[in-house]
Amino acid sequence: MNETPISSDLIRGHIDTIVLGLLSAQDRYGYDICKQVTLLSDDEYELKEPTLYSAARRLEGQGLIRSYWGEESQGGRRKYYAITAEGRKAYQRNLEDWKRARRLIDRLVSGDAEKEQ
Amino acid sequence: MEAIKYYVKGAFQGVKATPEVLEQQEELIADLTAKVADLVAQGKSEDEALGMAIASMGDLSTLVSEFEPAEESPARVPTAAVFSTRLDLHVITVSAGVGAAVMLGSTVIGAWSALIRPGAGFSLLAVLAVAVWWIRSAYLRHRESPDVVEVRELVYKARFRNAIAVWAGVSLIATLLNIASGTDFWCWPIWVAGGTWALTVKVEKWFAERAKFLAPEPELPERP
Repeated sequence: MNETPISSDLIRGHIDTIVLGLLSAQDRYGYDICKQVTLLSDDEYELKEPTLYSAARRLEGQGLIRSYWGEESQGGRRKYYAITAEGRKAYQRNLEDWKRARRLIDRLVSGDAEKEQ
Repeated sequence: MEAIKYYVKGAFQGVKATPEVLEQQEELIADLTAKVADLVAQGKSEDEALGMAIASMGDLSTLVSEFEPAEESPARVPTAAVFSTRLDLHVITVSAGVGAAVMLGSTVIGAWSALIRPGAGFSLLAVLAVAVWWIRSAYLRHRESPDVVEVRELVYKARFRNAIAVWAGVSLIATLLNIASGTDFWCWPIWVAGGTWALTVKVEKWFAERAKFLAPEPELPERP
């Protein structure tokens, strides 16, 4: 585990992709998504529920995910999210974009200009 | 998990209660409940888990601000927490008692003035049976859960006005039907029954002001 937690600003722009990625494996309800993020990040990053709900509302508005009410549990009905075909396409696109950006940013921030010489 | 509900409802105060907002609240409540259950399973006490779950939510205001605010905060309706089954039992007993007494009195006067035929006794019996059943069901509800606390709106004026309007309307229709059918004078129990219903509003107002029925107000983030 890192001493300093990852700046959430760096991650915020990718929350949609993270959520789409988690949903591409299976349908999940809100708290489950947050829990998976914590697990995947080894406790280094915590996705707050309000942030998730905002993202889910946005993604649903764009038609990338859809939601449905699941079975009754102790606290009431759970709302599940599922990825749409449109969402899978967007996820692949975002993933490719991210990989390209990562390679590019790696080069840029290393300050290594040997190739230029 | 009442505390979770209070917390969520409180966070959404001042937001228009659209179906969308109610669904968001329902989702939050279910998710928070799952989180608390998880923490309890990890060995936390219920109170501790509740505090941790709510604290980890962070700031709800960004999410809440995405929803349409309530147009104008409506004039606050005075409310009071009351022991509802106890109150209802008293209200119904008094109202049904008064209604039954009036009916009994009218029958006697009617029989004496020869306005009501002897057959009216049967309808009277039926009406009294309804009164008894009404009181009995209130009593059973009270016995089953004597300490239920419910927050009631203290808007008796409007309710009484509505009840009187309904009573007048129903009585008028019954009277017209009675005249049109040219049969016995059978509509008076309907007058009395409708009046009894309107009476419940006044009786409840009277009782609701008595300390005996007032419950402590539920507090927000208290233990469930």
